[in-house]
Amino acid sequence: MSATLTYIRTYLVRVILIIAALSGLVTWYFVSPQADAIANELQIWNTAAASWTLFVGIITIFSHYIRSVMKRERYWPYQLYAMILMVLWCIMGVWSGLYSNLYQTAYLSTKITLHIAILGQLIFFFISGVYRTFRIKTARTLLYAFLALIMVVLNAPWTQWIFPNAEKVTFWLLNNVGMSGERTLAITGGIGGVVLSIRILLGLEKGALRATEEI
Amino acid sequence: MSPLVEQVLQEGRIFQLTLLLLMAALTYIAYSYGKRGKVWEIRPLEGLEATWEGIGRAAEMGRPIMVLTGISGLSNAQTIAGLTVLGEVAQRAAEIGVATHTTSTSTQVIAFSEGVIKSAYDAAGKSELYKPGEYVRWFGGGQFVYAVGAAGYILETKPAMIVFMGYFLFDVIVTMETASRVGAQIITGTLSALPESSVFSDYLLIGEELYAASAMISKDTQVIATIAGQDWIKLILLIIVVVGVILKLAGSDAIIKLLEV
Repeated sequence: MSATLTYIRTYLVRVILIIAALSGLVTWYFVSPQADAIANELQIWNTAAASWTLFVGIITIFSHYIRSVMKRERYWPYQLYAMILMVLWCIMGVWSGLYSNLYQTAYLSTKITLHIAILGQLIFFFISGVYRTFRIKTARTLLYAFLALIMVVLNAPWTQWIFPNAEKVTFWLLNNVGMSGERTLAITGGIGGVVLSIRILLGLEKGALRATEEI
Repeated sequence: MSPLVEQVLQEGRIFQLTLLLLMAALTYIAYSYGKRGKVWEIRPLEGLEATWEGIGRAAEMGRPIMVLTGISGLSNAQTIAGLTVLGEVAQRAAEIGVATHTTSTSTQVIAFSEGVIKSAYDAAGKSELYKPGEYVRWFGGGQFVYAVGAAGYILETKPAMIVFMGYFLFDVIVTMETASRVGAQIITGTLSALPESSVFSDYLLIGEELYAASAMISKDTQVIATIAGQDWIKLILLIIVVVGVILKLAGSDAIIKLLEV
């Protein structure tokens, strides 16, 4: 990569980040119509960039799927079906509008069916994962399994039917015993996020295309 | 609050602003100490150590690895931390000829990931091994569309290790269980979906460890110093919590009012 390109990639990204971060911060903390205008403009640019990458994403899918269908690779009929659906949805969306009955019915009919299949799969997958995790082998897993069992039993409909106050115990455990853990995660996670942002603004993070390494 | 201040500052956000400035100042002070040569010892993160071992394991098994940055966009700090880890993992993997695959819901993250992996190959001096469009796939913007796509991707590539670093929700049940079924080692770093992740993961980075990991992999003492700054801030917040509890017990809502937005 040429030095100029590396320089632009490093500093242009940093300048854009600083302007975007400052405009966001200023509008949150200060009353400033000018900063509001900049933040709104950047939001539009963000949407435009996201739309463009969405377009690139669709091209990537098609290039991969077309190759796969032509070579009759494994699962090619599904990929062909997905491509046909995407083309049909695009035509229907452009022709009858995104919020028309035709588009919504066609889209949701496909999506909801798939969604139900996924939710069913989730239950099976979760049970098999839980089976592996909660096999009691040590004192630690015993404690873990016991705590999980309390929550499951107290949340079960039949427990709440026999003992209507079981729900109160569940909420007490979540709101008191579990609260300290939740709070720890929220505080440390929040601080970590802010410090990471500061690291990015200081140019310490390698994340931005790792360009900082090469300069 | 005086009318002049009200005209300049958003109502109820003065304390927040003060805290933010304090955080920035403390982070910068810690960074300056690091710059002057002060070295802070940080305990090794088990999950991070296992990641490096997992790359070697993948090379021995002749299988690729996968890094998933989750279902959020570039505005999420967890995703940014995940992308940093992706870069480092991809570079180390490229050095020994192991392919790194990834996917995400966000199209911005997809485009960014492609760039990160390409840069990782360049940095590893293995640019000739990089195949555009081979390592990054996008299956759709929906949470479960991504989950099913990623699960299919896992079944297809059979990675030896999958690193989940970023923002996740219930989608991890589909992806992590699929990962278990192909015998992949699972290493997770996230702030969300922790109960689900703890059920499936071999190693788990909890809470801020995700952000600490992204600093530690750089091995830069100045970046690691910012973790010390993070601890100072935690100490201050801990004091605020304790003072708040004592004041509340004494019948005062001063701290609660101070923290209100």
